[in-house]
Amino acid sequence: MAISAAAKKSEPKMSRALVRQETIAGYLFLLPSLLFFVGFVIYPMFMCVFTSFFDSTMNRADVFVGLANYVELFQDTVFLGALRNTLIIVVVSVPITCIFSLWVASAIVNMPSWATSLFRVIFYLPVVTGSVAVTVVWKWMFNNYYGIFNYLGKSMGVLDQNINWLGDQRYALACIILILLTTSVGQPIVLYVSALGNVDQSLVEAAEVDGATKLQAFWKIKWPQIMPTTLYILVITTINSFQCFALIQLLTSGGPKHSTDTIMYYIYYTAFKLYRYGYGNAMGVILAIMIAVLSAVQFKVTQSNE
Amino acid sequence: MKKQVSALLAAGMAASLLVGCGGAASSSAANSTPAESTPASAATETATGESADITLWTYPIGKWGDSESVDALLADFNAKYPDIHVTVEYLDYTNGDDQVNTAIEGGSAPDLVMEGPERLVANWGAKGLMVDLSDLWTDEQKADISASVESACKDSSGAYYEFPLCMTAHCMAINKNVFEAAGAMQYVDAENHTWTTENFLKAVQAVYDSGKTDVGALYCSGQGGDQGTRALVNNLYGGTFTDAAHTKYTADSAENIKALETLKAQDGINFDASINGGEEITLFRNGTLQMAFCWNIAQQKNSDNGPAGTTNSGDEILFMGFPSESGKPALQGGIWGFGIFNNGDENKIAAAKNFINFMANSEETAKAVTTSSYFSVKKSLSDIYADDEIMNEYQKLMPYLGDYYQVTPGWAEARTAWWNMLQQVGADEDVTTAVNDFCATANAAASAS
Repeated sequence: MAISAAAKKSEPKMSRALVRQETIAGYLFLLPSLLFFVGFVIYPMFMCVFTSFFDSTMNRADVFVGLANYVELFQDTVFLGALRNTLIIVVVSVPITCIFSLWVASAIVNMPSWATSLFRVIFYLPVVTGSVAVTVVWKWMFNNYYGIFNYLGKSMGVLDQNINWLGDQRYALACIILILLTTSVGQPIVLYVSALGNVDQSLVEAAEVDGATKLQAFWKIKWPQIMPTTLYILVITTINSFQCFALIQLLTSGGPKHSTDTIMYYIYYTAFKLYRYGYGNAMGVILAIMIAVLSAVQFKVTQSNE
Repeated sequence: MKKQVSALLAAGMAASLLVGCGGAASSSAANSTPAESTPASAATETATGESADITLWTYPIGKWGDSESVDALLADFNAKYPDIHVTVEYLDYTNGDDQVNTAIEGGSAPDLVMEGPERLVANWGAKGLMVDLSDLWTDEQKADISASVESACKDSSGAYYEFPLCMTAHCMAINKNVFEAAGAMQYVDAENHTWTTENFLKAVQAVYDSGKTDVGALYCSGQGGDQGTRALVNNLYGGTFTDAAHTKYTADSAENIKALETLKAQDGINFDASINGGEEITLFRNGTLQMAFCWNIAQQKNSDNGPAGTTNSGDEILFMGFPSESGKPALQGGIWGFGIFNNGDENKIAAAKNFINFMANSEETAKAVTTSSYFSVKKSLSDIYADDEIMNEYQKLMPYLGDYYQVTPGWAEARTAWWNMLQQVGADEDVTTAVNDFCATANAAASAS
């Protein structure tokens, strides 16, 4: 009895020591990635916000300017143009990407597995291909002098003369959106195929036995079940669209006449060409707030649908 | 609650992707506070620089962008200075400035950098980051180097931030075979490589009328090769890009407006916002365009796609000065040489000066110059290409070197504003409005600098 009491008394002490040991070990395992996360994500994020209140450039002490960068931002016609272009890209590309991906996924999900895999590979290929390579090919296709679009257009009698697709402000942004779409649909298609494959078929069959049409079965049974996937796709596509940069940098440098400037490109230009770090960071903060707000709205809307 | 947390994480992820431009408000000042400009004599008194590890960052100036060629030069250097180890970083013109500026911000600027006065003097020198090289500019050197080159290598206070190695004149080029077929060679002074504005316009029209509708393109998708478009516009009716004192931009002059209006109205000349200078050269070489405004001796000697001086299909390329009313162009020069970042280590600065002296002021200089494929800045080395027919022919353009205005304050912003202005003109906006917008932007940047 005495032994048992002693054992009972000592058991919690042993257990706490073990827990402490395991906790320390756990934190030690976590430490390397935590250091990187703090050093390369949290700290720069903080500095981004902090610097946005300074007139910060190379080779001189920063000067505190309060909200002056933010005030200037909304009087800067180039920034407002970039904001407008960015919103156009988001508003056009996000719905098209989601709808097109869902349509393709619905069409291929019930095919034989080899065909499904084949289509997944085809649509995913632009995602794994280097963005520079993809852009170079598109640039060639849009070439003013010997691009394939002008060639086909003239061959089919649609065009009288060559169109300078990337050099004409009427077409340049549309070309950027088209390229962005081709590189954006791959991952959503793969995700939708997976989500649709996990839909409980017994519910679909039961609904069909009860007389539900294909559309009703999709809308009432499949759609709610793939809603989390849709939400994820909406968020990542929105973020990707907001951050459209490489295409602009490689294809148009924001031209012609700023018609393809996006906020990301303008941030790059301001920070790394003009060395106005404070002003560039203020743009970064605005962009992050916009993305956060839009993501929150998307969460809210999809939550209410669920 | 989970979803709110998820939303926050998503926003965090988005924001984290923006942090690349996050400059440290306090550290940038700490890291980039310029060290006191170090007079060379003081450096050599305290350190001989006979033994050091130094870094050289070089832009692609001819074969100075090629490791094999630079290694050969370094081998010669190390034969004389076995204890100075030079590590070379090869930059390009797309990302090079970003790399250097990031290094400056991070407090790890290279010891030596090879480029032109627009960066060494007007940019980094003006910011107090460079070592004054006055001691390398002896009276003997000054007598051997032209006054215009010397002037470009120093700032208004008289501090020299560059010691030059080589130079060239930027020019344009035509497809001689196409011009002959179109009967346009009658407008070209092929022997002297010059032409008047009137003859240039007649020649373009003749080529256009012969069925080659894409004669030339005023490329303006970005700043690559922008010296060509500036030179064309400035030369046509005697305009200038800046005032003589390099204090303000003057593209809004009547001469420049007339030039832009003339080019806009000319058949066969397109303002093309989808290509830059490099792409224009490609289109010229593959026969799509019949003239290139972005050209120099390196292009003329390029034999990547066929014999030097020919297009991909074998047509002869004739390099030309830019057309002007008098037929005597004012060509934009390129001057390249070395500058030293003041990293506060006197021994490394002394070693870097030994390197400069070896490359630009010794018996090795001729080899260093020919590696660049350009001409020497020194009169005493004017004959280093005596056996090279193309170089000898190209030397005819060197007397036409014009004002080196790239040292004007606000240069980076002015360059961008220039190609934006060309895009405006190409989109049929009023030329006067476009150049006024350009000058307002560029001069505001100049004033702010």
